[in-house]
Amino acid sequence: MGTAIDKTIFSSYVRKEGLFDEVFQSDGEVKSVYQKLLDLYGSRTIEDYVSLNNKAKSSFFNQGITFQVYGDKQSQEKIFPFDLFPRIIDSAEWETIEKGAIQRSLALNHFLWDVYHDKKIIKDNIVPIELLSSSPNYLHQMMDVDPPSKVYNHISGTDIIKHSDGDYYVLEDNIRCPSGVSYVICNRTALKRALFGVFNHYQTYTVTDYAENLLNLLESVKPPGVDAPVCVVITPGMFNSAYYEHSYLAKAMGVELVEGRDLFVENDFVYMKTTQGPVRVDVVYRRIDDLFIDPMEFHPDSTLGVPGLFAAYKKGNVTLANAPGTGVADDKAIYTYVPDIIKYYLGEEPILKNVHTYHCSRPDELKYVLENIKDLVIKPVDEAGGYGISIGNKLTKEEIEKVKAVVKANPRKYVAQPIMSLSVHPTYIDQKESFEQRHVDLRTFTVLGHDQQFVLKGGLTRVALKEGNLIVNSSQGGGSKDTWVLKQ
Amino acid sequence: MLARVANNLFWMGRYIERAEHIARYMNVNYFSSLDAPNQLSQSRQFVLRSMLFMVGDPVPDDSIKLEEESVLYDIGLNPEKFYSILSSIKAARENANSSRDLISTELYESLNKFYHFVVNYPTDTFVKTNLYDFTVNVTEMIAVLRGKIRGTLLHDEVYAIIMMGVNIERAIQITRIINTKYNDALLAKGSYGDTFAHSFEWTTLLKCAESYDMMRRLYKKSPTSTSTLEFLLLNGRCPRSFMNCINQVYKHILEIDKKVEYSKHSTAFMVGKIRSEFEFKQIEEIQEDIQGNLNMILNKMFKISENMEKEFFHY
Amino acid sequence: MAGLKCRYMSYEYEIDYDTQNSYEKGLNEAFWQFLVIPEDNETQEVSYWHFENDLGERNSVSINGLGFKTVQVRSKKQVDHINFNAHFKVVKKEINPFDFELPSDLEAERAHLNSLEFKVDHEPYLRKTRFTTLPEQHRSYFEFDRSISIFENLTHLNHWTFEHLYFKTGVTDVNTPLSEIIEKRHGVCQDFTHLFCAIAKYNGVPCRYVSGYLHQGHGFFGDSQMHAWAEAFVPNVGWIGFDPTNDLLASHNHIKVCHGKDYTDCAPLKGVVYTHGANETKYSVFVKAAQQQ
Repeated sequence: MGTAIDKTIFSSYVRKEGLFDEVFQSDGEVKSVYQKLLDLYGSRTIEDYVSLNNKAKSSFFNQGITFQVYGDKQSQEKIFPFDLFPRIIDSAEWETIEKGAIQRSLALNHFLWDVYHDKKIIKDNIVPIELLSSSPNYLHQMMDVDPPSKVYNHISGTDIIKHSDGDYYVLEDNIRCPSGVSYVICNRTALKRALFGVFNHYQTYTVTDYAENLLNLLESVKPPGVDAPVCVVITPGMFNSAYYEHSYLAKAMGVELVEGRDLFVENDFVYMKTTQGPVRVDVVYRRIDDLFIDPMEFHPDSTLGVPGLFAAYKKGNVTLANAPGTGVADDKAIYTYVPDIIKYYLGEEPILKNVHTYHCSRPDELKYVLENIKDLVIKPVDEAGGYGISIGNKLTKEEIEKVKAVVKANPRKYVAQPIMSLSVHPTYIDQKESFEQRHVDLRTFTVLGHDQQFVLKGGLTRVALKEGNLIVNSSQGGGSKDTWVLKQ
Repeated sequence: MLARVANNLFWMGRYIERAEHIARYMNVNYFSSLDAPNQLSQSRQFVLRSMLFMVGDPVPDDSIKLEEESVLYDIGLNPEKFYSILSSIKAARENANSSRDLISTELYESLNKFYHFVVNYPTDTFVKTNLYDFTVNVTEMIAVLRGKIRGTLLHDEVYAIIMMGVNIERAIQITRIINTKYNDALLAKGSYGDTFAHSFEWTTLLKCAESYDMMRRLYKKSPTSTSTLEFLLLNGRCPRSFMNCINQVYKHILEIDKKVEYSKHSTAFMVGKIRSEFEFKQIEEIQEDIQGNLNMILNKMFKISENMEKEFFHY
Repeated sequence: MAGLKCRYMSYEYEIDYDTQNSYEKGLNEAFWQFLVIPEDNETQEVSYWHFENDLGERNSVSINGLGFKTVQVRSKKQVDHINFNAHFKVVKKEINPFDFELPSDLEAERAHLNSLEFKVDHEPYLRKTRFTTLPEQHRSYFEFDRSISIFENLTHLNHWTFEHLYFKTGVTDVNTPLSEIIEKRHGVCQDFTHLFCAIAKYNGVPCRYVSGYLHQGHGFFGDSQMHAWAEAFVPNVGWIGFDPTNDLLASHNHIKVCHGKDYTDCAPLKGVVYTHGANETKYSVFVKAAQQQ
């Protein structure tokens, strides 16, 4: 077989040194799993591709899978950029990802139970107490609450990258209200509509069973004594950027999509207001941040929530998924302890790697950090939201000296991580009408219920559309790709 | 179904229907006036005034000279005017957005496409050359939406609520159109016999209600005030008539409210009462006081809508 | 830990909590939650309660996130006010706050306070909140004396707070920051309590804000209002109530409703009302000693 570079569609594709390309090996050969796909795509001209791309775009637009951009005069609707060239993950690699994601979710669930009960992991000095006491997401109202089936993080989104060494690393756990799963399904639908032929050549797992699994999960964690639970999805409303997803999930599960004002609490039971009068609600899949779910307990000015909801939850009359207070386990600072958390509760080695973290509080590690600042990212332990981060290879000599001084003065406050490089994937670039390398990550979706675990076989591959950019978030102009997990 | 969502669906139905009547009214009046037999009916000022009267923004002062392009813009595409076609479609879509989980993907997609068509329609072309194209497209797309409502939704409570909105709005709009044309006919009388009864405006009225062909098939005569009013108000087999609308409303309210006995304050009771009243109404009774009867119909429809809000949407 | 030993003396109180809230523009829907029910604990017991509201809505008793009983009232009608009344009978045991021994080994006491286990167990009430963070420039205002016990330090702090602030109503409200209270040196029981908590927490002593009723009769501050005081955790003893507004240790005259990190956790009335206009709130408290046994 010749290399795909000869194919017309990839004629101008440039591979940069030092980047891990998902499709091409370092010698330029196509990886075997992509060979068939390249044969199929490669025989098309770029013009074919442009027209397919436009069709896919208008399909998204007409389905109203859009988000609002507020300009000077009036708000505009935009679609999330979608790339027609799929990402393929073979079954062996997927097995690792799936097992790793479940392992992390289970361990974090144990961690949540512990920090809201005996706090053994803190007392055993594995995780520092400061991570609890400085976290605004550690909710004292959750102390000694026993959620049904002991599940806190019913739905997790795990952000995974492939580093230039070819290994998967977890960058972030999202266990509050992770979003993006509807795009996984939309991407698949769009790709099927545009290029159905390619599916004949690959045995790909379906992604449309997510809603079914989610509904099973929600029903499995119903309050005790309820036979046929009424489940709802609660949304902040149609102006929320993830509103499409909320409505999609409600529709796909066949349950009501409610806003706070549709619910009320009486005598510690939750009801929704219907045309036929009040109907009791048993399980709420909440897509509202926990600090906004009940103005009686948390932010008093919140109009998104339901007054009295938390008391009803605490009494066990309604289940909230995810449980309130899960945010304490996905803080950046907790991330660095996840490998220890896995070992502590499960007695297992982590299946998915964490980005290695050097704790400056430990003398040998401090020494390494000071000597290698240019290859590291320095982060304060207790700052959230990207404040106070220094990226070594972007600092001048003087700045390096400054950072060294600051770290030396207060080593306990800092950690350092190697600068990670996200793998790249051929991505169609509109403006240039050609394929180029772009950085990608993968968000997987894990569902934990009563005795059940499920990872959606697929996930959201996010693409940083700006050249060289490592930030894949949609708010930063990122797009996404359909992601195929192969059966064999 | 959630009370809030039911409210949204009800209004989605109303706004879709409203847009269609306004579009057709503009189209029919404008183009039939071009070669109308009567000088007043042919006057552009007369037509523009009639359009503004119909959408509820009348200009009674004759000394004001209306600007054609700005009137067309206001009624068609002006986002600032609550009665514009654009505002109705926008409101319909917003209502659909908040109940997306309940309506079919097909219906939503059509409405969404329609919305983008209207929002992106070039204003300049519309007011200068494309009144016909725009209004015909609007009425056709709404016909598609009606098909999607009927064909892609389960005929349950959700469907019944939308259809209540559609039919109440249709009853109101038909009555408003009759009212407007009745007033036009008083001004632009025909040239022979009973000039009011033979006004050209009755033909226009039937066309505005898309009922001209049906009416000709049934009566086989030129429309007069009596036959037109009888057909549009009392003939239950004319899909645009008030009688048909109220029959539909009655059918759908029974789907929503399944009680065996209805309290006299219930919407079902109110609708049933009006329906029975009109079932046995004669056109002669209406003709005794056309204006008064039209006002009565409008008031009753507003009352029904208000009562629905209290009974089903109060959340 | 050793509990408080009590003598067999008890007091019975009757408490009336009365509030009127009016809303200029009226309400379509509203939800009120009253945090006014005395707690059942080792030293007090609620023997009777009765609630009334003039809207004819149900008064439901619920339990809030921190475990205290609340009364919830929901209205779905058009209203422009709510009058709510709560009536309680509480039996309170006599407390001798000095009924424990001072530690013989001050170093050991301090070490206990600094131990990880202690810090973990008391994390919620060591956590500094908006109202209980001692501003940087005021950190040397009141310093703990390492040569005396924690309890003695707290007693001094109680006295110091009482001396340092002037009781004055109407000059502060629930949003006044601690720095302003320290600088202007005046406030009401909430402010005294926040300052006490801030300094205790800064010195590593778990401390919580307490809301409750004070039985008058001896000219204490806190007349016809809900009262506030603090509870600090003394190693090997337990939670002890300090009333810095009156320079007292909490006694049988202090009838506790709830505790929290600061006032925010203990606000007697929380409401969610859907209205645009202004609102007015009035309330009064009346505590009467029924009999002594």
